Amino acid sequence: MAHLTGKTLLIGNGACARRIAEDILTQTSDLIIASTGESFGLSTRPASMATAEEGAKIFTRTKVHSCRGTVGDFKVLLECNGEKRTAAVEKVILAEDEKRISGFSSYGLTRTAKVMALSQLGELLHELSEDSSPISGIKTVVFLVGIDTESNSVIFEEIMQACLKLQAVQKLKIYILTKNLKVAANGLEKLYRDTRDAGVIYIKFTHTPPDIIQLADGSVCIEFTDEITGSILKLAADLTIVEEKIVPSDYSTDLSRIFELEKDLNGFSQGDNVHRLTVFTNRKGILVAGAARGVQSLPDQFVDADNAVLSLRNIEKQPADQIAGKAQIENGKCARCLTCYRLCPYRAIQVNTRVSIAPAACEGCGICLAECPRDAISLVDQTQATDSGVPVTEVIRPAGESFIPSITAFCCSRSAASAAQLSACMGKKLPRGYQIVEVPCGGSVSLSQILTAFNSNADGVMILTCHEGNCHSEVGPRHAQQRVEQIREHFRSIGLEDGRLVKKTLASNMGVEFAGTLVEFENQLLAMGPIRSKSEKE
Amino acid sequence: MTDKTVVIFGSGVAGLSAALELAQFDISIKIIEKSDFTGGHAIRFACKATDKCVKCGACLVEDKLDQALRNSRIKILTGSRIESISKTERYAIRLNQKPKYIDAQKCTACGVCLEKCPQDGAIIQGASRNHSPFFAINEKECRYLVDQSCSQCQEACPEKAIALDAPAGQVDCEADAIVWATGFSLFNPQNKPYGYGVFKNIVTNMELEDILRREGGVIRPSDGQSARKIAFIQCVGSRDAKLDHLWCSKICCGSALRMAELINARQPESEISFFYIDVQTFGRDFVPFYRRVQEEVRMIRAIPGDIFETPEGQLRVTYITGETYETTEEIFDCVVLSVGLQPCEENLEMARQLNLKVSDSGFLIPSEIAGEASNNGVFNAGAVGGPMGIAESIASAGETSLKVLKYIGF
Repeated sequence: MAHLTGKTLLIGNGACARRIAEDILTQTSDLIIASTGESFGLSTRPASMATAEEGAKIFTRTKVHSCRGTVGDFKVLLECNGEKRTAAVEKVILAEDEKRISGFSSYGLTRTAKVMALSQLGELLHELSEDSSPISGIKTVVFLVGIDTESNSVIFEEIMQACLKLQAVQKLKIYILTKNLKVAANGLEKLYRDTRDAGVIYIKFTHTPPDIIQLADGSVCIEFTDEITGSILKLAADLTIVEEKIVPSDYSTDLSRIFELEKDLNGFSQGDNVHRLTVFTNRKGILVAGAARGVQSLPDQFVDADNAVLSLRNIEKQPADQIAGKAQIENGKCARCLTCYRLCPYRAIQVNTRVSIAPAACEGCGICLAECPRDAISLVDQTQATDSGVPVTEVIRPAGESFIPSITAFCCSRSAASAAQLSACMGKKLPRGYQIVEVPCGGSVSLSQILTAFNSNADGVMILTCHEGNCHSEVGPRHAQQRVEQIREHFRSIGLEDGRLVKKTLASNMGVEFAGTLVEFENQLLAMGPIRSKSEKE
Repeated sequence: MTDKTVVIFGSGVAGLSAALELAQFDISIKIIEKSDFTGGHAIRFACKATDKCVKCGACLVEDKLDQALRNSRIKILTGSRIESISKTERYAIRLNQKPKYIDAQKCTACGVCLEKCPQDGAIIQGASRNHSPFFAINEKECRYLVDQSCSQCQEACPEKAIALDAPAGQVDCEADAIVWATGFSLFNPQNKPYGYGVFKNIVTNMELEDILRREGGVIRPSDGQSARKIAFIQCVGSRDAKLDHLWCSKICCGSALRMAELINARQPESEISFFYIDVQTFGRDFVPFYRRVQEEVRMIRAIPGDIFETPEGQLRVTYITGETYETTEEIFDCVVLSVGLQPCEENLEMARQLNLKVSDSGFLIPSEIAGEASNNGVFNAGAVGGPMGIAESIASAGETSLKVLKYIGF
């Protein structure tokens, strides 16, 4: 089997991938390109590609079969016409193109000479020029877009551009039928006005969707209520253009699985989490750009391409051997249960002769160490709380007051810990007896840490995590919730109030809500009174 | 550390993002901020999560500001404006700095100054824990600075952190490249027939963000009571041919509908109406979000006419819908105007000084699109080039950072 080595593997064959390739090649030729297309088609030949030997290694009709390893050391298996190659690369960029699904079925239409999908019209228009002869037999063109389900500005821009081009060739009656006109993109409102000036008529439906009927000759007739006058109108279209939905390609879906990437709810290869902006994934060293990460216009895909190149350069800047704050497995303690391997959201656990954690891929969330049954994992140089390190709360009770609840709040350093500081700045009223234990992630708070807090005099314990969908490690709030439920069940079985342990979600900018959440908890604890063990002690 | 310096104008999300990207390459960064507080408009935005994150991105601004302040290569100068700018080998920039009335080292954010101040709006509060000092003196409102008639805050400050006669400063700096990231200004809706500025319970969407952030819910500015019937009016100053504002501001549909959902969750008794032209697609989960929000919020495809105040201090809104083909009058406790993003007035002056191009709409055109033969080392990032949300501004800053790196030879 042929072996390749290189710094970067670029996967894709569209305009975004080409832009990335061209940019990288101006600096280095150390690039492997795996493209499913017949040719990759670099439009320019950068100086660094002076000779074929020096140029990027471009593999066409090539798919990624599998991938092992972590940032700095990915082993990728490529397959080209049945021939397999391994590639050892440091970083991977996914820049696959989108797939289009035409909306015929959602409008109850079938493709005929008189009903076509938006891309088909695009191809037709591509061949037309201003001096082309008009398309014969067509006077009325109807676009159906965003009636069945909401569309987007990328599709609308294509439609509006198509309208202008059609109008330039021949005088037509063009109608665009939709629910919501999408103009939230650069220059689109202006383009919309231009199409109206060119005679395009927009019909918008709010309450009453139109009746769309395909006639025996394949053409389409539309009956609808005009929402301005209330009158019923009929539209006979010589040509009907049906919108398309933009989805990830099938190969893109495969790539998400191969590289173990989070997906958004539309299946694109980037989790719907603001911490992944702009081109990051849940895995260090794997970037995703353009239509591989969402519905994007071509200019936006180019912005992505530039961000990918920048982030690539940034990754090279970062020292790979930095271990402060990263998780580490203590030699001799590990029983190879692979709990950490299963839990790691960043796929940073390597299973070789020994189980180890790749520091460059680790984000230091501590989710693995909270669950390790052998307590074999710790965060290097971690000054934040550990099992034994939960400080004892000492509440100084002013004279005359009988009970001031003592609260231990485990706060995620990315959210609640910041919110705590903000609430202090804002001068918000906070409980009288509380202490904050800053943790790298709500999911890193272990059962024993929670119990230690109770053992250390806490009347109540809170775990304050990021909101679901905002957690950098994605699964932190869920882990925290599970542990809270586990202990609460235990509390109930021994007759302790389960309300003494709660999990709440906060964002870093929620100063008011932080104070409110703590004060509310204090009030609940006041109603409950001191924790039994403590009152027994006294 | 390299000897390269990049000066970034504007400390909003685009400026901060560009600073953080460039600082990774050992470039010294100076961020120049004209206002008292860093973080731009977005630092005042509220988190709109109910139990789940709705991806508004407001927390990212806090994140980035935090990172920038901890980065030794990044220096931020607030209250600073350009006095002059010239270029020989490098850019030489002279800045005028507003007096440091409040000493950041001494201020403990106790808030006594704000309590004592008799003049509304003379002491402004920050929005982030990274705003240090957490308070600032508004020179236009402060009685001492107007006619020296009051210095109560200075006397009351337990830390002796306030000096109302502090001198203004001047700073010189040099730059190898400049990033223009001064963002947008907000459309002033005073000339629209809605009575903004006259009736207290009409606020802008940006003011509502601030109210949510400070109060955790919607209160009526007139009496501090919780508002029940709330109307959002979209596209105030956007998509408006009469104003020659031929653009969609991009962020308002998402901002308003996410706030509406948050208000519904926090104040279940509220009734929210949403007046719109078209609902724009935002977020990856728009389809399920929109389906859900249509059940929670009354969507009315109409832009209302005049608004009047009732004797009880409520607001009477008139509109026509396609549902009934008739005019309807309705009473609301609070009306939120989703005001458009528009270019900053300074764009023209800066464009003249730095030889940049401005589009017909007034936003800056990136130099390579403007067809400049040779780039002079001035770049723009974020909403200074057109309306943009937080995610797009971050992406724009990344794109710009790569251009800057290439320009200075990295």
